[in-house]
Amino acid sequence: MREVSKSFGTVQALRGFALSVQGGEFVTVVGPSGCGKSTLFNIVAGLDEPDDGGILRFKDRGCHARELLGRVSFMPQRDLLLPWRNVIDNAILANEIEGASRRDARARALAMLPEFGLAGFEKQYPHQLSGGMRQRVALMRTFLFERELMLLDEPFGALDALTRTMMQRWLLDVWQRHRRTILFITHDVDEAIFLGDRVLVMTARPGAVKLARQVDLPRPRTPDLVTAPEFVALKREILDAIEEEAMKSFIASTGA
Amino acid sequence: MSRSAARGIAGGVLLLLIWEVLARGLSLPAYTLPAVSDILGAVWTHRVPLFSAGWLTAAEALAGYAIGCVAGIGIAVLLVLLPPLRGGLLPVMMAINSVPVAAYSPLVLLWFGIGVASKVVMVALAVGFTIFLSALAGFDRVDRRSADLMRSFGAGHLAILWRLRLPAAMPLIAAGMRVSTVRSLIVAIVTEMLGAYGGLGWIIYQAVVQIDFVQVWSAIVVASALSLSFFGLVGAVERRVIFWK
Ligand SMILES: Nc1ncnc2c1ncn2[C@@H]1O[C@H](COP(=O)(O)OP(=O)(O)OP(=O)(O)O)[C@@H](O)[C@H]1O
Ligand SMILES: [Mg+2]
Repeated sequence: MREVSKSFGTVQALRGFALSVQGGEFVTVVGPSGCGKSTLFNIVAGLDEPDDGGILRFKDRGCHARELLGRVSFMPQRDLLLPWRNVIDNAILANEIEGASRRDARARALAMLPEFGLAGFEKQYPHQLSGGMRQRVALMRTFLFERELMLLDEPFGALDALTRTMMQRWLLDVWQRHRRTILFITHDVDEAIFLGDRVLVMTARPGAVKLARQVDLPRPRTPDLVTAPEFVALKREILDAIEEEAMKSFIASTGA
Repeated sequence: MSRSAARGIAGGVLLLLIWEVLARGLSLPAYTLPAVSDILGAVWTHRVPLFSAGWLTAAEALAGYAIGCVAGIGIAVLLVLLPPLRGGLLPVMMAINSVPVAAYSPLVLLWFGIGVASKVVMVALAVGFTIFLSALAGFDRVDRRSADLMRSFGAGHLAILWRLRLPAAMPLIAAGMRVSTVRSLIVAIVTEMLGAYGGLGWIIYQAVVQIDFVQVWSAIVVASALSLSFFGLVGAVERRVIFWK
């Protein structure tokens, strides 16, 4: 995508945003709150059209955002599980909408449960689950909707630090086996570097790409990586960039 | 039986006891307040006509209730699927609903006669509006982000209605249905009092004309029994169906 902008009334959320993602790549996006990360995802998911002049290309073909509806698998910032559906039926929601037979979809989901740490919970309802489990059900729903491109908007944002690191390792594990292209939003720089092939730092609103860094750390990655010198150096650079932007948006919002 | 139900029953029994003692102790005349025992006695003596009247009223209320529920939900679905219709139809519906249903009863009796049909129509009107409004409120309450998520899966309007809006609206629809049970019997009885060939309302009206107040009370007892059991039944089904609340 190139030259993508998006305004809501007088608020410009994105301006001249450009990004290109290779198949199989894991790209993480960090940026100050309100810089337009979710807006970016809404466009890539096909829910919002960019302003005139924005150019989107998907699989080497130009397209409108709305043509992407049903073609990328999107996990929004909140889990949005349906309270009247149990774990399995929540997980197969997208497949049902695609018109897959419920029986086949359920069977596939059931086979996937252990991998998502949900074995034995298929008959539970969302209000009976912990926050981390709900998040995994939402992830499973996203994985079962088999599209090459996955958009994950702060999937671990609501989790405590411990659950979070476990989920990160688990996600890398699953990603390595299923090999999808992932765009991943987070507030957490450690998480961004630990997971990504490439880290993107966004500017304060209106959002654009401030900095893009390749993460040349070997995979599979282990938790002790966060103390490796390359990791720390990269983290320093990214934190500096974010801080600069955060200051800008803070000054802008206090009207100074 | 739950604790609160037991407490409710205990309270009711206590109230009836006080009533009995007061009516007997002060020897109130029957047109002021007959004793509970006299009323229950009358219910027993007249059980055959009371039963058939109760049956008729219940059938009218039930038929009108069913029609009202289906029509109320149906119209709400229509307005959700065809938003332009909404702007035109909603104000008209609100205008009609702002007048108490009782005000329409002379017209309904005129158009549908004093047989069963007019009672069913009146109940259907009263129930239909309640259900329509709760269904519409329920459909509108859906989180936009959930609808967006389903759109991102490629869902159209119908799929979103069926898989998201309808279930999400169920708690409100069910609450409307529970409240409407009592309303359906009230409206059926009131319409019968205005003109009918039978039913509890008709019995009450006849009894008033004959100054037989114990009979009025016995019809009231049967009506409340019907009303309470209908309310309890729908409430129980509601708790089972809407388990996630
Ligand atoms: N539907 C909308 N209508 C009006 N303004 C909007 C809308 N969606 C987003 N915005 C505005 O666009 C800007 C970017 O919002 P966005 O949700 O993309 O931020 P974000 O980077 O995801 O923030 P966070 O990290 O807090 O999730 C915000 O200033 C927000 O107020
Ligand atoms: Mg966001």
